[in-house]
Amino acid sequence: MTTTPLVGDIEPIVPAAGGTARATWRSFRTEPLGLVALGVLLVLVLVAVLAPVLTRYPSGYGDHVLAPPTGAHPFGTDALGRDVLAEVVWGTQQSLLVAIASSLIAIVFGTLVAVVGAYFRRLDGIVGLVVDLVLSLPVLPLMILVAALVGPSTATIILVVAAFSWPEVTRLVRSQALTVVHLPYVDAARLMTSNPAWIIARHIVPAVKPVIVVSVVVTASRAVLSAAGLAFLGLGDPSTWSWGRILYEAQQSGAMSSAWWLTLFPSIAILALVLSATLLSIAYNDARNPRNRRR
Amino acid sequence: MRLGRGVLTIWFAVTVTFLLLRLLPGDPAQAVASPTMTAETRAALLAQYGLDKPLIVQYGIYLGQLLHGDLGLSFTQSIPVTTVLFERLPWTLLLTVTALVLTVVVGIPLGVLAASHRGRLLDKVVQVVGVTGQSIFVPSVGVLLLFAFGLMLRWLPIGGAYDVGVYGVAWYGSVAEHLVLPALSLMLVQLGSYVLTMRSTLIDALGEDYVTLARANGLPYRRILWRHALRNALLPTTTLIGLQLGFLVGGAVLTETVFAYPGIGRGIYEAVTQLDFPVLQGAFLFLALTVVVANMLTDIVYGFLDPRVKSA
Repeated sequence: MTTTPLVGDIEPIVPAAGGTARATWRSFRTEPLGLVALGVLLVLVLVAVLAPVLTRYPSGYGDHVLAPPTGAHPFGTDALGRDVLAEVVWGTQQSLLVAIASSLIAIVFGTLVAVVGAYFRRLDGIVGLVVDLVLSLPVLPLMILVAALVGPSTATIILVVAAFSWPEVTRLVRSQALTVVHLPYVDAARLMTSNPAWIIARHIVPAVKPVIVVSVVVTASRAVLSAAGLAFLGLGDPSTWSWGRILYEAQQSGAMSSAWWLTLFPSIAILALVLSATLLSIAYNDARNPRNRRR
Repeated sequence: MRLGRGVLTIWFAVTVTFLLLRLLPGDPAQAVASPTMTAETRAALLAQYGLDKPLIVQYGIYLGQLLHGDLGLSFTQSIPVTTVLFERLPWTLLLTVTALVLTVVVGIPLGVLAASHRGRLLDKVVQVVGVTGQSIFVPSVGVLLLFAFGLMLRWLPIGGAYDVGVYGVAWYGSVAEHLVLPALSLMLVQLGSYVLTMRSTLIDALGEDYVTLARANGLPYRRILWRHALRNALLPTTTLIGLQLGFLVGGAVLTETVFAYPGIGRGIYEAVTQLDFPVLQGAFLFLALTVVVANMLTDIVYGFLDPRVKSA
């Protein structure tokens, strides 16, 4: 489920000198959707950090089983009488952790493969082939296979999602890196040093940075969906609350279709996180592109 | 060339599966033989499944068996994995193909509509719907539809693929009825990418010189839009089908789980809960095979749309 193409096309832009970050921010500030998305993400991060303050960790049994939302339980209770609000709040922590950790691993690895491949042309053919092959496999079934074999835990989920997300990063970064390595200033750098690592770190990585920023967001939001999918199939960490686990337990207890609050609230949480990440990447892309800047 | 690539992808899928199964901690040896057995029984069992041989020999045997269409026996049902999967494959194909056709039939006109109303309210609405559609979690849509149309309105059945004890024409009717909600869920999560891709490529196409020429020649706008620009803009959308196939299959696994639909995805779910590794591995191969075949079909369609590709 990780092959949805990007919303906006990333246009190759010749890297400009310093000061672009400020211009991007100035342009970004005028995008209401982007600001709202950023706000939602910040709220979610706050909720995750403050989870222990906001609610008690949901465990054990409650008195009111499958109670619809009321003042005491704004999101209702589940089949064991636990507070759904608390489950969603604690689930935020897990979802953000998985999203950030797995996308970081995927980004670092994917970018490394892409820039090294683009710089050493002989490796690029292999990189392109491997990426194409991995991308043509159905990713969620593959993740299911691995998660089932290794056994469910948060570390497994993070590694599994990362392991199947990097090819998408490589695909995005590679196309940008390939245009950059042919630019004259890279040739000039080759004349100055024979150390490829230095050229890659100093000239190629900064040039593909915008693509990396966008892929971080895209990979992270896909990681949320993948992790939720695994948890929904019962392959999540059984000892930690996650949004997918709430849905999984709702289905296991047979209450999924009658107790609508069990599905609705975690679903809204997933949508809020993924949608705001997507909108943020679109707004960033627009803001970065001088052609789209008003004034 | 196309065939060679397909074979390469399948070989890759087979090898990845083999290596994952043998090298990851939960290897088949542990699933087949339990630690409480005596050493002899364990050794005998492992030998029976060929798990005592070196990895490379196992790999050879595994490939040989696959070439004979032998995917092994299901751990839990003691029937060949192929039998289990062939019962399920038609349902998954029915579901995914229906969803894909629906997506294309709804997505392309929506994208055209947005592109031809660029910058206006309609365009913005379509864009918002598209971006939101891309961010939805498949089970969320599934359960929502199930709740609304299955439980509240009681228009449609809430699970399964057909009614038991119905024959003839009525059986096809019940199959169609059971297909509506799963196919709709799968369509909704896919639609966004198609609409947005269609929109942006069509906007690009409308800015091309041949469109300006056609307008200068006095051709009606509708004709230019639907016949000239659309044909060119369809190419990236066709590529998108290929890119989205893996995602479609992943979505099918989740959709089938929500609706208890008896396809391969539901089979995967059951195999996971029962730790039935041969079925899991076979199901993955079937899905990889489906994706590869569908990719080749997309390539052929692409050739029809763009004759330059065919001659090259």
